[in-house]
Amino acid sequence: MTPIVQIDHVTRRYRGMTALDDVSTALQANTITGLLGRNGAGKSTLMRIITGQEFMTTGSVLVDGQSPLENDAVLGRMLFVKESQIYPDIKVKRALEAASWFYPSWDHALAQELVADFELPVSRPIKKLSRGQHSAVGIVIGLAARAEITLFDEPYLGLDAVARQIFYDRLLADYAEHPRTVLLSTHLIDEVANLLEHVIVIDHGRIVADASADDLRGRAVTVNGRTGAVDEFLAHREVLHRQAIGSLASVVVTGPLDDLARARARDLNLDIGPVSLQEFIIRTSGDARERISA
Amino acid sequence: MNGIARVARLHLVDRFSYTWLVWGVLSFVFVINAAIFAVIPLTQPSGNYTGALVTIYIFMGVIGVQAATKFLPFAFTLGVSRRTYYLGTVLLVLGLCLAYSVVLTALWWLEGQTNGWGLQLNFFRVPWLLDGPWFQVLTTTFALLSLLFLFGLWCGLICRRFALLGTLVFFGALTVVVVGAALIVTWQQAWPRVGDLLVNLNVLGASGLVALVGAVIALGGYGTIRRLTV
Repeated sequence: MTPIVQIDHVTRRYRGMTALDDVSTALQANTITGLLGRNGAGKSTLMRIITGQEFMTTGSVLVDGQSPLENDAVLGRMLFVKESQIYPDIKVKRALEAASWFYPSWDHALAQELVADFELPVSRPIKKLSRGQHSAVGIVIGLAARAEITLFDEPYLGLDAVARQIFYDRLLADYAEHPRTVLLSTHLIDEVANLLEHVIVIDHGRIVADASADDLRGRAVTVNGRTGAVDEFLAHREVLHRQAIGSLASVVVTGPLDDLARARARDLNLDIGPVSLQEFIIRTSGDARERISA
Repeated sequence: MNGIARVARLHLVDRFSYTWLVWGVLSFVFVINAAIFAVIPLTQPSGNYTGALVTIYIFMGVIGVQAATKFLPFAFTLGVSRRTYYLGTVLLVLGLCLAYSVVLTALWWLEGQTNGWGLQLNFFRVPWLLDGPWFQVLTTTFALLSLLFLFGLWCGLICRRFALLGTLVFFGALTVVVVGAALIVTWQQAWPRVGDLLVNLNVLGASGLVALVGAVIALGGYGTIRRLTV
């Protein structure tokens, strides 16, 4: 695995707030990475810095060994579809046509298929589109361009579940045929969980998890059973979340559990279950946890 | 295709304001002026003068402001650097202004040939400024159009980068510079000398002056876009 984007100690301070705080991570080439976190966690800022659109206060970002800032050679290999992407006041087909000039790898046939999938009215000005259609334009451009490094920042605002599924299916199918580096930021964690090979979780401008999706799934488990048995089992384990209903308790603990622990759980008549990526992130991200338990 | 040319082409995707709007408004202004001067008597023996050609120059400033940021977020999405966006936009400015000045010079010539469209109207002919041989009119028109477009571009970028307050400060500073210069000239009682200088400016001097002002504006615009985020 070779990192195509290397991010070292990146800090971004605005007046009175720190959007990114000493962030170091890397994007592996030809991998779909999820950038997950709450609103205002710093996801967009990080993506804007990777694409040279935002300036960092300190730190360094290297894309294929070069700084992306004002570097056409590097920027030309990237495409960044933003949340609420701003378009000039032009028709959908004009925007798609214009985007195709910038990417030698642009696939016109794929663009047409996607337009049909999303039922995009190509002759309509972009500003007259519905919220979901507006998002679909960005998705069509992002996929059809086949840019070497494609960044999607919450690309599906207003898209319905069917359209979102089309996006996931299309992304995966096209990625299989034309491997490239994709960074996808999203709130809809469970929806994309199966898509992601690598996950970066960011909270309050800091990286709280950076691991392969499989690894992350094993990092927490739920333990369900009678309160007494659960407590006995939990001694010395880190509890991420606890719920009690009557004499039953359901607890999320850090994993993974080894064979010994699993055998012990069986003896105590405890039920061990997986924790979804979404639940893991909710349990590990930020203040919410402390506020609820307080 | 070269990245800079690609940006210029990107701007032309939305060409309504560069074609129909500019020339439509100018045609309208011309027709109104022609109608007025067709019915009123001659004000001067050499014909009637209108300052209405200034419309297209003001327009240049306005579309410069628009061009500053209209395609910028989209260009950023498509991996265009600030430098390339600015240079591509300048290329568009120079190309459009060249085309416009050719048309304006042709109309200027035609107006002279037809005795002011048969109305002794001086619409495209401006004394002192747009006078002399055709190539001089062409270069002057091109230079003035380009300067206003570039200035509009810079204003648009300032507004995007520094918002309302910054724009006000920018125009405030500009006013201070202009008024300050005027005060110094007045204080030195140098207005006659300035007048002489401008009147006696040869082609080389005039080009030099325009190039200097153009360079200041272009560098200002470039310096502003380098720190711009969208």
